[in-house]
Amino acid sequence: MAYFLAQGNVFFEMLLVIIFIIVAPILGGLISGFDRVITARMQGRQGPPLLQPFYDFIKLLGKERITLNQTQAVFILGYLFFAISGFVMLVMGLDLLMLVFVLAFSAVSFILGAMSLRSPFSKIGGQREILQLLSYEPVLIIMAFGVYKVTGSFAITEIFVYGKPLIFSLPLVFFAFLYVLTIKLRKSPFDFSTSHHGHQELVKGITTEFSGPQLALIELTHWYEIVLLMGLIAHFCVKPFWVGILLAVGAYFLEIVIDNISARVTWKWMLKATAILGVGVATINIVWLYVAK
Amino acid sequence: MLAFCGFEIFREYYICERGLILELLLLLLAIFIPLAGALICLIFKNEVLRKITVLLSSAGLAGVAIALAYLLSQHGGSFVFYSEDFPAFLPWVLKIADIALLITLLGIGFKLKKPFVIFLTAVQFIGQIYLEFFSGYKEVAGDILFKLDFLSLVMILVVSIVGPLIVIFALGYMPEHEKHQHMKKSRQPRFFFILLLFLSAMNALVTINDLSWMYFLWEITTLCSFLLISHDKSEISIKNATRALWMNSIGGVAFVSANIIFSKLGTLQISELITDKGLISPLFYIAVAFLCFAGFTKAAQFPFQSWLLGAMVAPTPVSALLHSSTMVKAGVYLIVRFAPAITGTVLGDWVSLVGGFTFVAAAAIAISQRDAKRVLAYSTISNLGLIICCAGIGNWLATTAAILLIMFHAISKGLLFLCVGTIEHGIGSRNIEDMQGLFKRMPFTTTVAVIGMISMLLPPFGVLLTKWMAMESAVNQPILLLVIALGSAFTVAFWAKWLGIILTMSYKKHYNTETIKKSVEFSLAALLTGVLLLAIGLVPLFDYLVKPYLLSINSKVGVPVNEILIIMLFVILLMLVFFILRFSSKFKSKNLRAPYMCGENTEDIRGIEFMGPAESKDEVVVHNYYLDGVFGEGRLTVLTSIISASGILIMFGVVVEKWLIS
Repeated sequence: MAYFLAQGNVFFEMLLVIIFIIVAPILGGLISGFDRVITARMQGRQGPPLLQPFYDFIKLLGKERITLNQTQAVFILGYLFFAISGFVMLVMGLDLLMLVFVLAFSAVSFILGAMSLRSPFSKIGGQREILQLLSYEPVLIIMAFGVYKVTGSFAITEIFVYGKPLIFSLPLVFFAFLYVLTIKLRKSPFDFSTSHHGHQELVKGITTEFSGPQLALIELTHWYEIVLLMGLIAHFCVKPFWVGILLAVGAYFLEIVIDNISARVTWKWMLKATAILGVGVATINIVWLYVAK
Repeated sequence: MLAFCGFEIFREYYICERGLILELLLLLLAIFIPLAGALICLIFKNEVLRKITVLLSSAGLAGVAIALAYLLSQHGGSFVFYSEDFPAFLPWVLKIADIALLITLLGIGFKLKKPFVIFLTAVQFIGQIYLEFFSGYKEVAGDILFKLDFLSLVMILVVSIVGPLIVIFALGYMPEHEKHQHMKKSRQPRFFFILLLFLSAMNALVTINDLSWMYFLWEITTLCSFLLISHDKSEISIKNATRALWMNSIGGVAFVSANIIFSKLGTLQISELITDKGLISPLFYIAVAFLCFAGFTKAAQFPFQSWLLGAMVAPTPVSALLHSSTMVKAGVYLIVRFAPAITGTVLGDWVSLVGGFTFVAAAAIAISQRDAKRVLAYSTISNLGLIICCAGIGNWLATTAAILLIMFHAISKGLLFLCVGTIEHGIGSRNIEDMQGLFKRMPFTTTVAVIGMISMLLPPFGVLLTKWMAMESAVNQPILLLVIALGSAFTVAFWAKWLGIILTMSYKKHYNTETIKKSVEFSLAALLTGVLLLAIGLVPLFDYLVKPYLLSINSKVGVPVNEILIIMLFVILLMLVFFILRFSSKFKSKNLRAPYMCGENTEDIRGIEFMGPAESKDEVVVHNYYLDGVFGEGRLTVLTSIISASGILIMFGVVVEKWLIS
């Protein structure tokens, strides 16, 4: 996306950033809607209309503002703000490593929100989200290193200067990224912290105690996250950019498929599997780049 | 005697016409103010006098440090004070003091009946006697005794601002501590004597340019830490102090060995050792490896982490002091100081690997810890590892990260230790699990602690930014990348867990007002202000403190952080603070609900109880995950220590082999 900002004056840039901030959740909501439609079809159901996530969002906004203490809403705002700033960093083509950090803080803010409540379900959800964070964070950092190794900079704009598809040099990193994407998006088999489907034991895990407008904000943040992560995937092939977008679409479709065909594993399994499939595989890629140069 | 010395030095100095009299005066004040304060505390056991002394010397010390900072930034480069301008008997003072110190340590060894301590001290003793009387090494004209450059200045600022705040905290803390310990006779005079002596030794250590003097000061800090850790005289504190002593004595032996080799190479002057390319030889690197090893022991790198963990038995101000501004910082200071000599060499690579490994290993074990002080201790060890790792990498960005991290870590960790100490006195426990709902009981301390923890974790606070710089500078070493990536994720995990507990609260209309002592409150508030100021002042800190140092060691200099980014993150943080205030002022209790408990709620809306079987009211207990099966201390300590020890052995192996085949 930094492509659009390569030239132009400051005012134009700001305007574009604002447009992106407005457009992103619409796109994210649509992706979420498609997700639900496709998931329903895979399960042989009719499923909700495509715009259902937006209907839900509006409905949630109008609900009663129930709360357990006076701070929980602040953490949700932190979750949202950090996610948006991560997105802005992507749009402006800033530092990829810092973007990864900022995403982590967005997650940490959410975790703290859940843990700040005296609710057993929400607390356990928070703990489980820490485990998820623990799994995907190193891989995201290693991904940033991989990009540095190829382009010579952490700046996202440099990916465009470099021009050639990153996926040629970073196939294993790309694979590891796809793998942790499932964890980051909290999809099955790694949906410990949210337990999205109705039959799960943790009610709604980390979101148990958030309702009404707060839950709406969590949904909104999730849309930003989806667009941000898909944007990152698209950066693995920036020229021609439609290939990158196809990559992102394919990746999301893959996530939906995996979500539907797998059952939740245990957290120990996740940590072990991530150590090999995520960290291990991505490191191999980095090492070979290192040897090649 | 002291006054005489001071006068003598001044008379000599006045004769020589180098100027810099004010600078020398300030430097000596930085060393002698705490020393004088220490002696007053020891000799006059009056409590009021002690308070006045501590307050005055703290204020004086901070003033001196700031004045030095101002003068040096005006002057640029460094202030150099030559040996010949000092009285001729000074080397003899050192020799006598050295021997007295080693005899004291020997005496302690005999008293403890620890053959290993006696052995290590004896080895140092012999080495030191050889070095000073038989090696034939003599000071030459043009030798520099003190050199105050920007790295020293950073250390002086840390020691002289954070250190005194901890000592002031101790003024309020120690009486209460003695009450808890049921002590009959107050031992505070001795306690404050050692605390202030420690600061004095540190200020001298970071400005001295002569390694034989530095060794003396190095051993003083070892002795001080032994005395402080064993302060409570309980069985466990003596045991842990003994461990600290023998581990640091190994470092002392390494230091003496390095000094002997350097004396064979012709100089013990740090300024020459790091700049004179003519000295470089395989033997030179062996000596530097010894010095780095001494730094590892003092900075509690794996496998020497256990002395710092054991030091937790001491009163809180001791932990705070050892962890933030003294002792461990002496270890990393030495390595950062010698970084220009090892950067780009195999030795540098291995130093950074050992540091990097400690960074990840300590962070991993911290995940499994329930004791707040131990979490802090592992976090310290981890951060020191990162500093050493950066020093080993040694390019400008890594050096920047190391120096900034020394500052940020000192102030944040000092603050956190003091918070934990206060919390411990408040709730009678330092188990993290007992800290739920702490905000209601101790709102002030909790707020301070939360900000302290956030400063270790979140942008735009400095610790994170230095981690970012460290990563950027490690980008060409895949193994380092891996350990830093993992370590960084582990760090987020253990802080998030603790923060989650400490932020837990249910709604209550009125908060308790906390009763804490004035000195405790002052220290916490001052350190908190410092944390916030450092966060805002990252860019000026770099421009005025780090950049001149980088230029003075002929390093490349760039722009470390993107300012737009920092401003953006600040805006987010401010927005969140705004919303916290807004939400808590506009809170409507009609929106309040009890947490979800599968319908088994009692009438209690806070979520502390639930209806158990047979209509009994049970307490809701939810613990954090500690992942003992993966990150347990018992599981990882031996393994990581072995790996780290192997790394250190390889480091020595590499340099020794080069020497043997050359």
